[in-house]
Amino acid sequence: MVALPGENTPPATSSYDDDGKPGFFARWFYSTNHKDIGTLYLIFAIISGLIGGFLSFMMRMELAQPGIDFFQNEHQYLVYVSMHGLIMIFFMVMPAVIGGFGNWFVPIMIGAPDMAFPRMNNLSFWLLPTALICLLISFVVPGNANGNGFGGSWVMYPPLSTTGHPGPAFDFIIIGLLAAGFSSIFGAINFITTILNMRAPGMTMHKMPLFAWSVLVTAFLLLLALPVLAASLFMLFTDRIPGGTGFFDPARGGDPQMFQHLFWFFGHPEVYIMILPAFGIVSHIVSTFSKKPIFGYLGMAYAMVAIGVVGFVVWAHHMYTVGMDVNLKAYFLAATLVIAVPTGVKIFSWLATMWGGSIRYSIPMQWALAFIFLFVVGGVTGVMLANAGVDAYLHDTYYVVAHFHYVLSMGAVFGIFAGFYYWFGKMFGVQYNKWLAGAHFWLFFVGVNVIFFPQHFLGLNGMPRRYVDYPEEFAIWNQVSSMGAWITLAGVAFFFLMLIEALILNRKRVGDNYWGEGATTLEWTLSSPPPYHQFNTLPRIEETDGH
Amino acid sequence: MAGHAVEHDYHLIPPSPWPLLSGIAALIWGFGMVVFFAGLQPRTGESPMMEWFFSKGLDSLQDSYRPVADKVGADGGWFFLVAGSIFAAYVMWSWWKDVAAESRAGDHTPVVDIGLRYGMIMFIMQEAMFFVGWFWMFFELGLFHKMRAGWDTAILENAPAYADSMAPGIHAINPWNLPLMNTVVLLLSGTTVTWAHHALIHNDRKGAKWGLGLTVLLGVFFTFLQGVEYLEAFHGRAEGEPWLSTDAYGSAFFMATGFHGLHVLIGTIFLAVMYLRLMKGGLRPEKHFGLEAAAWYWHFVDVVWLFLFAFVYIIFGYSLHG
Amino acid sequence: MRSKNTVIALIVAVVLAVISYMILAFVGLSGERGEGMPVIGGFYLQEAETPVMEELTKVYNLVTYIIAGIVAFVLGLMAFIMIRFREKANPVPSKTTHHVGLEIAWTIAPVLILLWIAVPSMNLLYNQDVIKDTEVTVKAVGNTWNWSYTYPDHENVEEIISNPLDKTQSKAAGKPYLLATDAALVVPVDTNVKVLVTSINNMHSWTVPSFGIKMDAVPGIINETWFRAKREGTFYGQCSEICGIKHYYMPIEVQVVSKADYAKWIANDGSFTTTVAQNNLGSGQTAAQK
Ligand code: HEM
Ligand SMILES: [Cu+2]
Ligand SMILES: [Cu+2]
Repeated sequence: MVALPGENTPPATSSYDDDGKPGFFARWFYSTNHKDIGTLYLIFAIISGLIGGFLSFMMRMELAQPGIDFFQNEHQYLVYVSMHGLIMIFFMVMPAVIGGFGNWFVPIMIGAPDMAFPRMNNLSFWLLPTALICLLISFVVPGNANGNGFGGSWVMYPPLSTTGHPGPAFDFIIIGLLAAGFSSIFGAINFITTILNMRAPGMTMHKMPLFAWSVLVTAFLLLLALPVLAASLFMLFTDRIPGGTGFFDPARGGDPQMFQHLFWFFGHPEVYIMILPAFGIVSHIVSTFSKKPIFGYLGMAYAMVAIGVVGFVVWAHHMYTVGMDVNLKAYFLAATLVIAVPTGVKIFSWLATMWGGSIRYSIPMQWALAFIFLFVVGGVTGVMLANAGVDAYLHDTYYVVAHFHYVLSMGAVFGIFAGFYYWFGKMFGVQYNKWLAGAHFWLFFVGVNVIFFPQHFLGLNGMPRRYVDYPEEFAIWNQVSSMGAWITLAGVAFFFLMLIEALILNRKRVGDNYWGEGATTLEWTLSSPPPYHQFNTLPRIEETDGH
Repeated sequence: MAGHAVEHDYHLIPPSPWPLLSGIAALIWGFGMVVFFAGLQPRTGESPMMEWFFSKGLDSLQDSYRPVADKVGADGGWFFLVAGSIFAAYVMWSWWKDVAAESRAGDHTPVVDIGLRYGMIMFIMQEAMFFVGWFWMFFELGLFHKMRAGWDTAILENAPAYADSMAPGIHAINPWNLPLMNTVVLLLSGTTVTWAHHALIHNDRKGAKWGLGLTVLLGVFFTFLQGVEYLEAFHGRAEGEPWLSTDAYGSAFFMATGFHGLHVLIGTIFLAVMYLRLMKGGLRPEKHFGLEAAAWYWHFVDVVWLFLFAFVYIIFGYSLHG
Repeated sequence: MRSKNTVIALIVAVVLAVISYMILAFVGLSGERGEGMPVIGGFYLQEAETPVMEELTKVYNLVTYIIAGIVAFVLGLMAFIMIRFREKANPVPSKTTHHVGLEIAWTIAPVLILLWIAVPSMNLLYNQDVIKDTEVTVKAVGNTWNWSYTYPDHENVEEIISNPLDKTQSKAAGKPYLLATDAALVVPVDTNVKVLVTSINNMHSWTVPSFGIKMDAVPGIINETWFRAKREGTFYGQCSEICGIKHYYMPIEVQVVSKADYAKWIANDGSFTTTVAQNNLGSGQTAAQK
């Protein structure tokens, strides 16, 4: 089916246009081009984001007032919560930051013509639709006696996910997550190999752009954390088979809490998997729009390495209330606080990068600045939650929901939008409309803050999470929070207006380096969009370049 | 290609259908897994979906044992599992054929070769983490489950189920019997694969063929022995007793050794493919990364087995039965 | 020109930092406190009813002071930088990329702040977790979906099945819906009470916010925690580990009574005399009948 050209012989088929692009079907379905695959990932992430966003919007509508009036029954709410969490994490944030931007810009930034394993790259992508289809099937097949779908939350703790959901809905989720996991593992192998092996001449590790560093660390986290998740998912799968294993069945000597350990051993690195690439993106944006090189480059790079390493030994801070030994809790408390140090280094280095700069507030910079501030807010509530004693009050309340949405829904997502606007012209060759993009930013910024800031209050007042109905004492702030969902929805609408305007209606072309002198990484030396195969002659990084 | 000629040694690959087809194969196979093991109807409760298709359950496997619900899995699963597996095998075969052809065409320049090495190392690393998951589970259950059982006998009427044995009828395995044999087989195969590698480097193709052929045979032999061992483990199963149902030790034992066995199979296939390529005149003394990768993988499988043997069989096996 | 800009930036930054600190500290550290239950529109911890919760509140306050300070500081700094170094005011960017002193400072300073937090936090952790000599033991079992309580030391007291009151029932009883139950856990005041928590199927979590305790109920495992209620009254909590469809509908109600009443209650096989019930200290059922 595939012509196998020998070395350096351009494929002579007429279906390749003069830029070397294959025909439509081969280009988008059989792709081996990192930029096309990156685009596919981004489209995929947008679709998943719409699904996950729809679910969260429905949840907010349900929670807008006490009582159960939006959903058929409580089970459906729990299904929405679970699927929202899973889809946002595995199918929106991860594909966007790693698959999308990672694919697009890591090879370019390190001066490589493509990824190390272009075909495997596409395998990583095509496993994702498979996985998402499995998750969507799960919606419509029986979960348990209460209805279709799986309502055991994204953490999938047994026994709720084993005996609590005997139907095939959860089996589909397991299969889907395994597929997504393998996708990420292959992606991780690809990124590590690309970054270690394909840097352009002169591009030493210590000259590598921070985004590439962030993806490198992320890839290692994926490589080491996901197989453990895969093992624990297999355990769930076989535990669920009647007459199968009994890993988590106490009646047979199994231990249900052990799943939590395995899960969070994956789960905590997972949160850094989502945020580290955003760190990388923001670093570039801050430097570009301050027209200054990154402050403390090495500190920035090694802070990410430190976060990655320490991220593997703090998992049980998600489990302070399971009845762990107090000394263990004390250890996890201390280890978790330690992570705040490299995170602080990052924040202050961004501010120091801006210090003395000549700052322009273009749209990407607005997102990046909002990212920094909101990530600080989410980060400090993380410091609060690290205190095992206080966590006895706050664990599994809305305080936690507020915390992780500040770092995810505002951290990771703001990082994604920052990168999207930053590289929009580079990727698509056209520029967005400033007004639409500005409206998107401001509505989104206000919206998510209105949604999530009051949730701190709910948590402090004692409202547990994953509740479809609540005592009316919590009504006021829930109502405010749900109003924020409307504002956010309006923001999302402007995002799509922006896309339509820029990609279809207006198509205002942009130059190679439309951000000017501050943008120094290699992607700005290429045309917008870059040629189908860049760097046929490898760039050479001179001694004085870089940081 | 547009612009100027390619001046680097990296390997750009033309569009390929295999990734997309792999995704589809995975979907079919995954669907089969669910239907086979779970069926599309809930295991409790009603609302059967597509019962006409997925109705009978794992009857053939466990006609005498219906532990939780009547409907366990469904016949339809076979179809999807087999179809998915065949499809996947076809895709993999074609994919690797492309890779081999590219290698012959000289696409695997030194720098690409290094990349392949990185890739293989990373792959083995993730496999190692996969087994870390299983061992972690195993140690936890092995070290702590007695303690937990002691904490609470009141609310769990079936406290005896915590007892130190596998499920009724499943015999414990004497580590100095077949498992020891398997250890020897694997260690031996580790030496034969090294022999093959050295022979190939010194262009002794005959030696290489012998070494590799023997390795493959030993791998097959290992799988055979493990099959025997499993059969023996199940031998005492009384009529009506569970096939699979196991307690904590049994769970960890079967899943850990089972996944190891799966990896042995994969490794054997990997080696067998290399053997075929060798027979066909492939693999050159100076360039044979395929063989090296297979050997690395084989050694990895070997090391995992040593851990299994030491802990799962000997130490905990003894504390259970010795 | 330049210095004027700096002054403006400085003023804005300081004002912003101070205002935001005040706002954050206000919302973080004040506000009405629910007494044994949430309060309408509340944005602060519930009233502390045990020594542990008092200490927890203190640590929470300390950490909130600090993190509000960090947020305000970062906000002010950002404001200063954004005004002082905007393109117009500072057309020529500097090229500084290193400052060893600074980098050391912003590594050391967080470490010190974290130590400042860690010490009281560790104290709290150990006080909370290490179980004091307890005089009363109760066992809470999570079921799908209600809690049941037994008194292992008093076999005469029957198992209390604590079912939630539905909307009309709770209204009739004058109790908060989704918090009230038909039969509360009864414990004495000023007494160290040990709670054994477990579950028979799914996981749950036994929580009373105003006591500062939350303990997962895990099948096959018995977890322990303890509390010492400072005053008599009724205290509410809600299941805090997802346990299925009625997760939101298995509240926890603890009724703290005087030691004498508790003794009577025990002697009475787990029921109050009428006099006590008239004092509105009756169990859920008696209150409902009223
Ligand atoms: C801005 C739009 C969003 C809204 C309105 C929203 C809303 C919600 C709501 C209402 C819940 C359920 C809380 C509960 O009942 O416990 C929830 C849970 C969650 N959300 Fe979001 N969310 C948004 C964005 C995101 C994003 C971008 C992510 C991740 C990257 C995310 C990750 C999660 C996770 C992991 C959970 C926990 C699910 C679980 O408990 O199993 N959310 N969200
Ligand atoms: Cu974490
Ligand atoms: Cu619950």
